[in-house]
Amino acid sequence: MPRWSGRGAAVTILCLSQLAAACTASGPRSSATRSDPTASAGPTKVVSETQAAGRTQGPSGSPASLEPPVATLVAEGGDPATGQLGSFTWNGGGSDSPWLPGTPLAVGSGERLTVALADDVGVSDWEARRVPAGVTDGIGAVRLGGGRAPVTFAAPGPGAWSVQVTVRFAGGLGSAVYYWRLAVR
Amino acid sequence: MTPIRHPRRSGRTARWLASGAAVAIALSVTVVGALAHGPDPALSGGPFGQNQDLRFRWRSGSEPPTAIKTAITSAAAASNAGRASKAATFTYDASGSSPVGYGIGATCGVNGLACFTRSVPTGFTLWLREQGHVFDWGTMKWCQMYTTPPNGCYDAQMIALDELGHVEGLGHHVNLGDDSDYVDAIVQTYARAKPVTGWNMHAYGRCDVATLQILYDMPSWTARYSTCLDLATSLTLVADPAAVPAYGTTTLTATLKVVDSDAYGRLGGDPIAGRVVTLQRRTTGSTTWVSMGAMAAGPTAGTYVLAQQLSSDTEFRAVFHASTAEGLRGSTSPTVAVSVYRCIPAPSQNGSSAIPCI
Repeated sequence: MPRWSGRGAAVTILCLSQLAAACTASGPRSSATRSDPTASAGPTKVVSETQAAGRTQGPSGSPASLEPPVATLVAEGGDPATGQLGSFTWNGGGSDSPWLPGTPLAVGSGERLTVALADDVGVSDWEARRVPAGVTDGIGAVRLGGGRAPVTFAAPGPGAWSVQVTVRFAGGLGSAVYYWRLAVR
Repeated sequence: MTPIRHPRRSGRTARWLASGAAVAIALSVTVVGALAHGPDPALSGGPFGQNQDLRFRWRSGSEPPTAIKTAITSAAAASNAGRASKAATFTYDASGSSPVGYGIGATCGVNGLACFTRSVPTGFTLWLREQGHVFDWGTMKWCQMYTTPPNGCYDAQMIALDELGHVEGLGHHVNLGDDSDYVDAIVQTYARAKPVTGWNMHAYGRCDVATLQILYDMPSWTARYSTCLDLATSLTLVADPAAVPAYGTTTLTATLKVVDSDAYGRLGGDPIAGRVVTLQRRTTGSTTWVSMGAMAAGPTAGTYVLAQQLSSDTEFRAVFHASTAEGLRGSTSPTVAVSVYRCIPAPSQNGSSAIPCI
């Protein structure tokens, strides 16, 4: 994070830590929470067979949870936006989705964007790509950045973009794809 | 990361299973480091048993409609036919232990078309969303539910095969940045709908197969390695005998194997049979190799033999040329020297250092 230095960087990191903690405790409800199988039709059967498959329920992103951690995208000085969870593998299971439209977020062109994961889940490596908003087949995707942690990249040029961030979690925990719909001014 | 030894032959299965999670990490690291094209990453939890038959049934109360059942059983058949490895097989069995469901109870998160769980070595679960399910991003349309599938529908057979690939232990393929290699894997980070390229793949892609081979090993020593692999090979050569009388014959035996590397999982050390290994020779002191032709299959897997008659000291080497049809690198054996000794009739031996003729 070459543009972050001194007190500003420390404050930002602290904010991200607090944000992650807030997400875990009582922050934005994730898709993980909303898709809790115990809240779905046929809960008894679903839970028993899930447990039979060696999976248990827990907070999103915890080792026992059914879904990976919530990811938030933070622009410098802006409000964080929880990513829309797409395909993932996690805790002995997984789900497959299309390229999703993503959670709306307005940012400035070239602005530094940082993705933070809840629950202190580590990042092995990541990659961010974008297509014009409305495109759902991924064809012609343009890479915005990638590599080892931290997950940070510059916002694309002005326009409306669907940004896909693929994160592979440290320790072989799995991977997840998150989406944001950026309105770049 | 601590290096891990991976067993290759029977009798070492337990150690292989114990190291399964580490294998996944190793594969993961190998793949993600490049952030580009390569075998699918492996999931944690390890592989199922080699050729283990996983029997599935329809989940009671959540049975798919007939068209979707057909798509799922076709996907199972495609997995079995296209695994090109000793990966687990899938068989429908009304009393099977692995439930496959469809509809409202699906535990696929809010955006998932389909989902799975895997529990090695017991079995798996699999779910497909119901036709008409309303997501934030649109309405679920399975192509199989139409006489004339509309654009925007998802192919249930492909999606089911994607899930079965996960059950085998495949993680999402790491595509090139522009997704130009999308069809190299069916286990993708996002699903494509009709009519976008790759929307109706009904067989594993070569990079899915690559990881199945790494996790489960080859179905035979003559089977072809996925072109998504790039495996180093080792070639050794032995001459027997290593010294012959003039115009005597020596037999050259080459042994071709996959290099015994931890990164190659079960493939490390595999004998490679049924390929073309060429024998080359030159007179000792010469720099020009002359091809003597292809070596014949030897007595054991991965060995190749060819007999040669010699009139002077000769050097040999074996050469395996890589083929674009599979993911093996070529290799050349170290040079083997065979000496030719002079012999003289027995009555003249006195005072001679030559070897008596037999």
